[in-house]
Amino acid sequence: MPLGSDGVAEAGRMAGAAYGTAPATGAGARGARAPGGVRATGGRARLLQRAFRTRAEDALPLRVRHQRIYVLPTPRGLAFLVSLALMLVASVNYALSLGYALAFLLTGLFAATLLHTYRNLAGLELLAARPGTAFAGEPLPFELDLAERDGRARTGIRVAARDGTPATLSLGACGRDGVEVRVPTSRRGARPLGRLTLSSDWPLGLWRTWSYVHAPTEGLVWPAPETDPPALPVGGDGDGDGGRAAVEDGDVAGLRAYEIGDAPSRVAWKSAARGTGLRVRLFDARGTNAEVALDLEAAGTGSIEERVSRLAAWVLEAERRGVDYALELPELRLGPDRGEARRRVALDALARLGGSVS
Amino acid sequence: MSARTTLARLTGARSDGHRARPTLALRRMSPASAGVDRASLHALATLLLLAQLPHVFHLPIWTSLLGGAVVGARLWAARRPDLLWLDRLLSSVSLTLLAVGAALAIRLHYGYFIGRDPCVAFLFLLVAAKFAEFRRPADATFLMCLAAFLLLTQYFYSQTLLAALVTLPAVLALGNALMVLRDPARAAPLDERLRLTGKLLVQGAPVAAILFVAFPRLPGPLWSLPEDGQAITGLSDSMAPGSIGELSRSDEVAFRVEFDAEAPPPAERYWRGPVLDRFDGRRWSARPVRAGARPAAAEGDATLDYSVMLQPHGRRWLFALELPASLPRGSNAPGASARPLATMTEDGQLLAPDPVTRVIRYRASSSLSAALDPGREPAAHQVALAGRNPRTVELARELRARHADDADLANALLERFNVRPYRYTLRPALLGDAPVDEFLFDTLEGFCEHYASAFVVALRAAGVPARVVTGYLGGEMNGDYMIVRQSDAHAWAEAWIDGAWRRYDPTGAVAPSRVESGLAAALPESAEVPAMARLAPGWLRGARLRWDRVNHAWQRLVVDFDDDSQAELLERLGLSRPALWQIAGATLLALGLWCAWVLGDPLGRLRRRDRRVRRPEEIAWQRLERGLARRGLARGIAETPGAWLERVARADPKAAAAVAAHGGRDVRFARPAPGP
Repeated sequence: MPLGSDGVAEAGRMAGAAYGTAPATGAGARGARAPGGVRATGGRARLLQRAFRTRAEDALPLRVRHQRIYVLPTPRGLAFLVSLALMLVASVNYALSLGYALAFLLTGLFAATLLHTYRNLAGLELLAARPGTAFAGEPLPFELDLAERDGRARTGIRVAARDGTPATLSLGACGRDGVEVRVPTSRRGARPLGRLTLSSDWPLGLWRTWSYVHAPTEGLVWPAPETDPPALPVGGDGDGDGGRAAVEDGDVAGLRAYEIGDAPSRVAWKSAARGTGLRVRLFDARGTNAEVALDLEAAGTGSIEERVSRLAAWVLEAERRGVDYALELPELRLGPDRGEARRRVALDALARLGGSVS
Repeated sequence: MSARTTLARLTGARSDGHRARPTLALRRMSPASAGVDRASLHALATLLLLAQLPHVFHLPIWTSLLGGAVVGARLWAARRPDLLWLDRLLSSVSLTLLAVGAALAIRLHYGYFIGRDPCVAFLFLLVAAKFAEFRRPADATFLMCLAAFLLLTQYFYSQTLLAALVTLPAVLALGNALMVLRDPARAAPLDERLRLTGKLLVQGAPVAAILFVAFPRLPGPLWSLPEDGQAITGLSDSMAPGSIGELSRSDEVAFRVEFDAEAPPPAERYWRGPVLDRFDGRRWSARPVRAGARPAAAEGDATLDYSVMLQPHGRRWLFALELPASLPRGSNAPGASARPLATMTEDGQLLAPDPVTRVIRYRASSSLSAALDPGREPAAHQVALAGRNPRTVELARELRARHADDADLANALLERFNVRPYRYTLRPALLGDAPVDEFLFDTLEGFCEHYASAFVVALRAAGVPARVVTGYLGGEMNGDYMIVRQSDAHAWAEAWIDGAWRRYDPTGAVAPSRVESGLAAALPESAEVPAMARLAPGWLRGARLRWDRVNHAWQRLVVDFDDDSQAELLERLGLSRPALWQIAGATLLALGLWCAWVLGDPLGRLRRRDRRVRRPEEIAWQRLERGLARRGLARGIAETPGAWLERVARADPKAAAAVAAHGGRDVRFARPAPGP
């Protein structure tokens, strides 16, 4: 059978190319060459995969085609069917021609609704899934890009990840929109998005149509920062107590706008008094050898998870204070630096830190 | 107020399929007036009121008022959550009490409960009570199912075109309610909802039509409930002076007839109904009849074939012209049920096995020969006299002395009516203890039942067996069918003369125009003749006749569509016994075509060999090309888009303006616009 993930991936690539979008994530690009995607593991497994998409073999962008669309009546639809049957029985018993007509008119409505419900989902395109960031324990958001290109509006499309918070969106004709689904996290490391369910019961809520999409998209969950960490270790000597003083003793290198969380002691009150608004003094810590060296080995004596968690807390603290920090991990060594990019690299590294390290 | 908004938000979330628990938890402490957002409430209320409306015409007035009031109270409670007493009034406990009370009241009103009418009345109130108690979205499903069923029950009472039209707004409201309840927080605007429901209905209509025609119709009821007594106008099985005159004041339709060939002339339109041969001095009544007589086979005479659409009259008899030549059947279709719909009694009445409580259609044939029944000897009771009418007996004796022949005697009686100053009137003087004597000799005025009664009494006094026949005389042609109204009700006489029952219409001797042209012709201008029996052609009368024609076609094509019509239709299509594979094939083909139609242009999609996804600009451009091609402005093969649009601008400035408004230009080769 030439259909399945192969053809879909092909169509997806074409769709992406036609729309002029590059594959949005590395994960998406990887998915096109998903290992085992083409390798069949027996007809039964292939059938199960086609039916339930339990393995992450779908490549984005992906067009939801009829092969993967299910439609079944909702509980309300079943109740509607039961009352249609009752109406028919009453019509038979009392030979009510108009009763037949009414029952059949509603049957026609029910049937037409099936096709509209199906059409609402069919042809919808999932362009990309971009993972957001989250610390372990927080929900991890994934931003999904959906597009509609058949020239008809899509209403009430529900996107849900497994055990995640679902989201609902509507697309106008030829519209494109992003939607965020959140999945719960418990520990650091890679968190796959898992199987997505796109569903809809538009227009009458009598039928529910759904489709499984399982792309190998993963988000990275940062370690949960320790809630009440010891003070930042300054220098490389591991003597944490001097850290704060050392940092604050540095020369003032400049001012930046106040952000929530900045220590009051660092606010440039004099300049604030001149009416320039709240600014925060930046210290040139580089010159004073006041950099922070974060080392897994030196982060306490707890288990590796506890130490990773402490390091994460320290990274955040250093960033908050605007202090350069170096990070030393068993397989990675980062020189002193700070800023958004560094923070990300550091947290990513902590998230990925292998379990083999003692 | 804030509790309600929270709740509305939760309800909105509930429709997303989770967080049911908070809704339930809140429900317990929320006021009864809350619980459902206003949009759902209004959508459901509209549905209910539209479903209840047609029932108002047949339900007892208190039921209609109560049902409407309960729905109104619920709406009011939603508007005024501060009215605690109203809140308490609409609690489930008080509404359960209301339902029980209503059941008792209905039982008292009808005298029974397990029957069609009381059950409909109870359903009517139950729907209202359920709506008042409605707190959870899950209740809405139940409520909509109840409303749909209530909608159906109106057809117990009327299946006219009007009843069908009245259903349509309710069906639209049902679709609207479903749409609102799907997601109350994000429902589309009303006009869009109605348009979509209409579209769904139109698209479902072919399915409905095919099911209506092809769904196997089962003859006979699956179960039967006790018969519901209904007061319906029509002939009764007894006749006292004035009873038919009373009936003549109604211009309701008794039945409609379609003749296969020409309709008989007006004077021959005697529609035979109940035959009355027992007289107690004042009132004529029918003897308990024995069925099982065989229709007189037509003796060389051509028979007249016709179909009758009989309105329900709550009695067992069917009407046939003169004397039926065959038993009535459902239809002439081969393969249709060959079982006759009725039996015939010795005196020529057609009796159905059950009272006629819905419109029925039957085929009958009659022979218009003069001698009605050369069969049975009259029984003793058909010469029996009762009451004290000595002057009539004396008159009969005199006539008998003058005329030895029975036929001459009967003619002499008719001549008496014709020559003496008898008057034909709807409002005769009241009669006392000897009604026949008083009528014949004193008042000299009466309606058809007086003349028929006096004629039969006089004949019996002279020893000639005679009986009264009631039925209808006349009928008005309306297009290709005939309408017979209650105002055509008539009574005439039959006498056993020369070994056969012969028809005598003494009214014809008094007022020949009654026989020839109907009631209004025979009565003075001032008489209270019902509007539709009048002769004067007015626009109103014309309109009513036209409306009757529409209703008749509706009745024939839709309401009377039963197993026989189905067999007939299949026969005509040459599909009387389709094989299973034919049915399956036809079903699949029809389903495929229908899906293709609803899903829209799948053939075009299949034709497109490359399954490449088109850009929206491309779609728009192709749509533009198609649209303008329809206006005769197709783009030439070698024409550039610019040149083409210029040509369009010259030929059709209006279209060009519309194109320009959308920034029309060929964008296929333009750079893709940056994504939103």
